[in-house]
Amino acid sequence: MKIICLVKYVPNVEDIKYDYEKNILIRDNVKLILNPDDACAVAFALELKEHQPEHEIEVITMGPKSVKPFVEDLLRRNVDKASIISDKLFAGSDTYATSKILSHYLKDKEFDCILTGTNSLDGDTSHIPSQIGELLGLNQMSNITKIDLARFKKTKAVIEVENGENVLTYAMQLPAILSLRKESDYKLPYIEYENMSLDVSDRLDIISNQELGLAKEEIGLKGSLTKVVNTYNKNFEEKDKVVVENNEEGIDFVYSFLKKKGFV
Amino acid sequence: MSVAQQAKKKEIVDDLIDLLSAEQVNTNEEDLYEASVDRYKKFAYARNAVDVPKPAAIVYPNSSEEVSSILEFCNQQKINVIPRSGDTSTEGGLENWKENTIIIDAENLDKIVDINTYNMEAKVQAGVPLEELENALREKGFTTGHSPQSKPVAKMGGLVATRSIGQLSTLYGGIEDMVIGLECVFPDGHIANIKNVPRRAGGPDIRHIAIGNEGTLCYITEVTVKIFKYYPDNNKFYGYLTEDIETGIKVLREVMVNGYRPSVARAYSEEDANQHFYHFSKDKCVLILMAEGPENIVEATGEAIEEAVEKFSDGIIEEVDSELIENWFNNLNWSQQDIDDEYEGMIENDSHTGFTTEISANWETIPVIYNNVMRRIKEEFPRAHELTLLGGHSSHSYINGTNLYFVYNYEINCAPEDELRVYHHPIHKIIVEETLKQGGSMCHHHGIGKYRSEWTKEEHGSAYYMLEKLKEVFDPNDIMNYGSIFPKEDGIKKYINKEK
Repeated sequence: MKIICLVKYVPNVEDIKYDYEKNILIRDNVKLILNPDDACAVAFALELKEHQPEHEIEVITMGPKSVKPFVEDLLRRNVDKASIISDKLFAGSDTYATSKILSHYLKDKEFDCILTGTNSLDGDTSHIPSQIGELLGLNQMSNITKIDLARFKKTKAVIEVENGENVLTYAMQLPAILSLRKESDYKLPYIEYENMSLDVSDRLDIISNQELGLAKEEIGLKGSLTKVVNTYNKNFEEKDKVVVENNEEGIDFVYSFLKKKGFV
Repeated sequence: MSVAQQAKKKEIVDDLIDLLSAEQVNTNEEDLYEASVDRYKKFAYARNAVDVPKPAAIVYPNSSEEVSSILEFCNQQKINVIPRSGDTSTEGGLENWKENTIIIDAENLDKIVDINTYNMEAKVQAGVPLEELENALREKGFTTGHSPQSKPVAKMGGLVATRSIGQLSTLYGGIEDMVIGLECVFPDGHIANIKNVPRRAGGPDIRHIAIGNEGTLCYITEVTVKIFKYYPDNNKFYGYLTEDIETGIKVLREVMVNGYRPSVARAYSEEDANQHFYHFSKDKCVLILMAEGPENIVEATGEAIEEAVEKFSDGIIEEVDSELIENWFNNLNWSQQDIDDEYEGMIENDSHTGFTTEISANWETIPVIYNNVMRRIKEEFPRAHELTLLGGHSSHSYINGTNLYFVYNYEINCAPEDELRVYHHPIHKIIVEETLKQGGSMCHHHGIGKYRSEWTKEEHGSAYYMLEKLKEVFDPNDIMNYGSIFPKEDGIKKYINKEK
């Protein structure tokens, strides 16, 4: 079976800092991480390959070329092939334009299943998998928390999907797009010590728009249906500072505060 | 482990029980697993991936005479001995590299022998927890002046054996400045007692053969330390945000060379400041000072701090509320609970709280080392894209220089048993290499342990001759803490480089 994993590298939100003087978010030096839902998709594919080595896995990601070391590490974990779709012309693409770019690349590819995440940490719209499904004429399912490994076949997958408080089991005809959630808890395998510096350049392609040949009007800001009228940073009200001691009273204060805010 | 090895271990245990008593010889498997490493292999330990042998037993002598009998026995039988007291070592000093090893733990040497507030000295056995001594002194209005981060867990013998330093060292000095006299036992069973006097010119200062020996020459059973009057009500705290760490270091230097001794004197890089002071650091570097002692000295020190800050005001962004610094100071030490919590976290996640490598150099050299290390790690470390923290701080200053505490952490994407050689060692190596190249010392206060022993000869240069001779004379059978301080090629290949 040929499995394509569609992944995204997202800014680690914990690294985003706030400039208190200018009231702006500082995105410089923010580290990129593999989107947790997408990591589960790759992890499942690799688990499958571990049991049945004949499966072929290709990872596809769209983003800046700076994701290269992270993608190389996926190849070192036993992914067979990877492609980074990257071009300055793609900058500013909304989910619609992004789906068009990815679908354009995928339409000529042979595959039996596309695995991806449900939500991304940054955008969180969950548009891309279903839009690609629409553009490629494939069924798509979100919020998958489990894929039955033993019953994952070329023409059918048995999946568990979270639906409110219920978990529903579906049998889905393949090819299709299966979108996992991080709660599926599939873990990426470790990179073996011997492979830590393995040269994987022969298995990694960088694809630009020169290869894809999309018209400038279809991509980037011009090709996006989403029109941004304005962006602004939310200004936070200055609150009175409260300093508590590290004692029973202080702990009770913090606990009550968190409870009031709904964090505990 | 082979049948022959098992039989040998059993023989060792039986002999130790004959020598001491069954209650003093611990062969509990879980305790032996814990005793096979220290905090250097914390992640592998938490994940049950430790690759070194377990010791045969942990023994708990009740007296110096019993320590003497145990060492004599091990010396005759050529059994490796790892002295332990406190168990907070971070550089592999307590890690076991030999199949036939015993741990001598100072747990039962737990008496505060004497506190003499007229002579300003306290005599304690090796297994007395520092915090216990400190609390006893505080009740009388005195202090040890020694406050390492490990204070709630560390014990006196271990602190002296590793040349420990406390967070107030800029005023009170390191442990080597505090130890007046001590008792130690050598592998041949000889008990040496170095008497307590204010000062003497009776030949070389032999205290320093034992202080910092890391259990490679002798076993420290008792120490006498200076004590100081305690003036908590006079404490004054100062905090500033600075443009760069160099500004902070310049202020520290100014205060020191003008003859003042703040108890806390720290300059943090912005990355490191973010770890500790995220609630006020605003992604800037942080400078912290504290004046402590008699009121007039505190006043004078405070004025000197303010003058130094003024002199370098171009690099000072703003002053920090001193209450925030005081609050930080009151929560400085980590406890056994903190250590346990970190282990729990490491069992569940592919991460830990990071590593540190501490070095020292003179004022001119420190910024050069800092900048070179930062540049080299970013350029040369193959897993730089997985770094989640890289920064540092200066926390112990002297008239001629200061220390640097490099701090780093990373995402772990390899097996637990490979973590050190994939991530920690390459970073550690750059720091040590760069420090030695610039003429600094590769270890300011954690000791050499086993993981810096590769560079011991380079650290000491032509003076290594003196160290080597001490080892030959005091430990001719090489039974004391194999692999610590003195480089052992077989251990380095097997347990550091993991060569097959």
